[in-house]
Amino acid sequence: MKTVDVAILGGGPAGATAAVYALRYSLSTIIISENIGGWMREAPMISNFPSAPGEINGLDLSAKFKEQLNELKAEIVEEKVIQVKKVGNIFYIKTNNSEYAAKTVIYALGSEKRKLNVPGETEFFGKGVSACVTCDGPLFSGRVVGVVGGGDSAAVAALMLSEYAKEVHLFSKELELRSKPSLTKRMINSDIIKIHKGVSILKINGEKFLNSVNLDNKKEIELQGLFIEVGMIPTTKIAQEVGVKIGKWGLIEVKEDMATAVPGFFAAGDLTTGSNRFRQIATAVGEGAIAANSTYEYLRAK
Amino acid sequence: MTKITVYSTSSCPYCTMAKDFLKENKIEFEGINVQENQEAAQEMVKKSGQYGVPVIDIDGEIIIGFDKNRIKELLKL
Repeated sequence: MKTVDVAILGGGPAGATAAVYALRYSLSTIIISENIGGWMREAPMISNFPSAPGEINGLDLSAKFKEQLNELKAEIVEEKVIQVKKVGNIFYIKTNNSEYAAKTVIYALGSEKRKLNVPGETEFFGKGVSACVTCDGPLFSGRVVGVVGGGDSAAVAALMLSEYAKEVHLFSKELELRSKPSLTKRMINSDIIKIHKGVSILKINGEKFLNSVNLDNKKEIELQGLFIEVGMIPTTKIAQEVGVKIGKWGLIEVKEDMATAVPGFFAAGDLTTGSNRFRQIATAVGEGAIAANSTYEYLRAK
Repeated sequence: MTKITVYSTSSCPYCTMAKDFLKENKIEFEGINVQENQEAAQEMVKKSGQYGVPVIDIDGEIIIGFDKNRIKELLKL
């Protein structure tokens, strides 16, 4: 097994940017990622990333990331990271398929989608309940659907669904929506979107397929599709096993240089404390760049 | 010859990934956009028991989602 200078775990905006910098520093690099772009792939519209005026969809932006990595002749391993162990000064990365060794790690595995954890959610997943509006939204053309969540992702989902659904119910736990004012305004102006504030879903019902939800205000709403957009949980478990410290908000504690408590193990993106919990493509890109630079400095000092 | 149908929607990223994967491996398939074809949408739901895309039909074997390993296995790639 050859030992590379840096193994980048995750190919979202943080990992992909770290790779661009690492390769330009001529570090021997592998990127372990099942999907270059990560969750960004599912974003129906991105309107706050420099160089992409107007709107770009996540899949197109991911394709550009991949194109750039290919141009730099990046070694991308399409596998899932299972475990990382540090033995002496070397990190051993176990995947679903193989094992790799690296002098340093940039940990950028991002986050997983949060579930609602109510009865019926698992049973009707794929049978009306979905976590991907860009994928399954268009299947509900002319039907009644719901979106759970009060942030930007929920608002974008509701607006996208309003283009083809007959009626869109937005269920938000909070009394005030957290979505950007521009998105909230568009939802309020829509005749199709009905906003339910300060409500929770208690139960998801159906027979073969989803047909209604029970709310905590005793109402039952009939609908055929339900999209869960209740945020993300940082993927910190593998890093915790290596010995990183968890800081504020349950995120991996990093210093200004993206170093964690484990020497040679850097972290970047949505799962760190590095960007004041502002989980954006732009902030992940910044953290990825810093992490790669720190890796370079770390290796040079050795 | 193996008959392959990919059911998808226009905006679905995993559908695009699935189709790109088949194209990269020079495998012919019929792509059906269920967003534009309600009849095909019903056919897909019936075949898969799911309201979700992509659905890939390889000679009657139904794959739900872009399950690359399962596709490789069925097509012996």
